[in-house]
Amino acid sequence: MPAQSPAGPVALWRTRSGRAAAFADRCPHRGMRLSHGFVRGETLSCIYHGWSYAQAGNCLRIPAHPALTPPDTIRVATQHVEDGGGIIWISVGEPAAPPPRFEGLAPLRSMVVEAGIVALEAAAGTRAAGGLLDYTHDDRAVRLLLAPEGQARTLMHVLADEDSNPGERIAASRAAESLRRVAEDIARGGIAR
Amino acid sequence: MTRDTMIDGWYPVSLASQLDAHGRSTALMGEPIEVRRGEDGNAKVTGGNGRALPACIRYGHVWSSLGDPQKPLFAIPEADQPGRRLVDVGVVRVRCSPLRAVENFLDIAHFPFVHTDILGAEPHTEVQNYKVEIREDEDEVWATQVRFYQPQAAKSAEGGITTEYMYRVPAPTCSILYKTCPPRPGEWDVITLFVQPLAEDLCDVWPWMALFDDETPMTDLIHFQQTIFVQDRSILENQIPRLLPLDPGMEIPTRADLTSVAYRRWLKRHGYTYGAQLVAQ
Repeated sequence: MPAQSPAGPVALWRTRSGRAAAFADRCPHRGMRLSHGFVRGETLSCIYHGWSYAQAGNCLRIPAHPALTPPDTIRVATQHVEDGGGIIWISVGEPAAPPPRFEGLAPLRSMVVEAGIVALEAAAGTRAAGGLLDYTHDDRAVRLLLAPEGQARTLMHVLADEDSNPGERIAASRAAESLRRVAEDIARGGIAR
Repeated sequence: MTRDTMIDGWYPVSLASQLDAHGRSTALMGEPIEVRRGEDGNAKVTGGNGRALPACIRYGHVWSSLGDPQKPLFAIPEADQPGRRLVDVGVVRVRCSPLRAVENFLDIAHFPFVHTDILGAEPHTEVQNYKVEIREDEDEVWATQVRFYQPQAAKSAEGGITTEYMYRVPAPTCSILYKTCPPRPGEWDVITLFVQPLAEDLCDVWPWMALFDDETPMTDLIHFQQTIFVQDRSILENQIPRLLPLDPGMEIPTRADLTSVAYRRWLKRHGYTYGAQLVAQ
């Protein structure tokens, strides 16, 4: 699937055995987006000419030349991936520390908000700390993990209490949706309710 | 920057069969133009400031130019051969460089992945060696002896066959494909790609065909080609960068891409750079 990182668009994928990988979203052959590609076994293949790449980014196969072993210089830029607690983290360059763990919280859903973090903070009436926004809506606390995608868009992950029941999770999801609407209104220059 | 020599070329701007007195508003290389049928029955094309532009009708289309064409439109002798059905496929708008649209047309290695079970299928992915040349006399790019296994090469084909192709690039945004003709061995079906550059990153693609096929209903012939081009569009609108890189460094060609290598070299040699980027970014 396509995703964003500070280094640009990435193709985020998972091998058949379950390992996550993040590639620069561009096949070095003809520039096609690799997020349109397909996963077979432990490889990601480009949808244009079927060039397939290992998790480490090196090209394994060029279908137009089945007998050829691709030189090691044909490779896709990769980013460091951590996959834990139901959240996939990517890091441009070698990370200084492992990603945070959110004890007692479970990821519920992700949504794209057409607004920057400032508008989200204004809508929530509180500031984000360490990428995490604590939002209280109708006396219910919702935890939102924010990943900026440029100035005007945020990927927002909704975290719910690990032992919450389905009704509480639905309420948390709706609270996040209402926050999104208010933040998008603010970003469009509208008036927050 | 020097004047792009592509300004003096001929480009398709309408289907001839849809030409009427009312006219059609379109664009050519960023300039709004009007195409209509004049009172004398000929095509009239006017530019943004109302000036009359060169116009001619050939191969099912109206052709025009913003500049001063130094040559008549390229010849397709097969177009006048008796017994062929001429097929106006229509138009597919693609948000890509006109040069990328042509380059994709010259590529066979994508058939098994983009036109799966129609023009190609795994495991038949190998591209055999073929011949590529820039013919100096005609000033055209040619690829010959191109062979590829195809599950359904044409609407008239039943079952898989190894199809032989020849590709010809007589103008920067036009290519002609000659392809094995299943009902008539010894003849070639002609499939063309005429690209109208609307902007450097936007084009209208007008495929056109001259086939030996008296059986297949016209609707099916059109539908077949439109299916193929819509599949290509999903690729062309997702290539980075949008403009065709003419300098090496941004992309990695292989032996299968020799037609594209020659096409890019030919474009660069002539200064045909509308829709291209010269320095790797």
